[in-house]
Amino acid sequence: MEPIRTDFKGYEGKYVALDSRTGKIVLAAEDLEGLFERAKGRDHIVLGGRVPFADEPIPVGLG
Amino acid sequence: MPIALANGDQTTFQLTGLIDTGADSVLASDYLADQLGIDLDDHDGETTLGVGGHVAAVRYKTISIRLYPKGEDDPHIEWQAPVGFIPNWHSYGFVLLGSVGFLDQFTVTASRFAQAVAVEHRDAFDDRFGAVLVT
Repeated sequence: MEPIRTDFKGYEGKYVALDSRTGKIVLAAEDLEGLFERAKGRDHIVLGGRVPFADEPIPVGLG
Repeated sequence: MPIALANGDQTTFQLTGLIDTGADSVLASDYLADQLGIDLDDHDGETTLGVGGHVAAVRYKTISIRLYPKGEDDPHIEWQAPVGFIPNWHSYGFVLLGSVGFLDQFTVTASRFAQAVAVEHRDAFDDRFGAVLVT
């Protein structure tokens, strides 16, 4: 089975949802509530979280 | 890892679950509790955890977790587990899949070299390495 790869470039700082079959980003929103709102009625999507910026510090441990 | 949370007839969208061997349990944003109609004042337990450098009061509720092995068109696997809801927390994923509730359900093999994660039946570990814990 070929693993799914997702290219997050260009979506830094946004909340995103992926097509569950292809891994491609199909929805993006400025906040979590907006992402859930846009996802309503859509099939084949997996809601991800916020895409970090390249220079953004990432917490060690849960985060 | 595509997962969903369910409470009665309420189910979340499919969500990104992050496997976290350092997490004691399954942890999620309390935004999802709202989506599932869960009253966290009626919780099953409460504790304080360090989350991303901050201290948070986590409230647990036992609900259903669904794992979608290959995609949403395939049958999902569903089990019950306590999920700790963290106030105002969400990050690169919505759910952390930790020890109690996830790693006690499956054998998980991760390989950066293969750039893949395999989730198998929990007895797969004993089949591969022999039984370590005899009860």
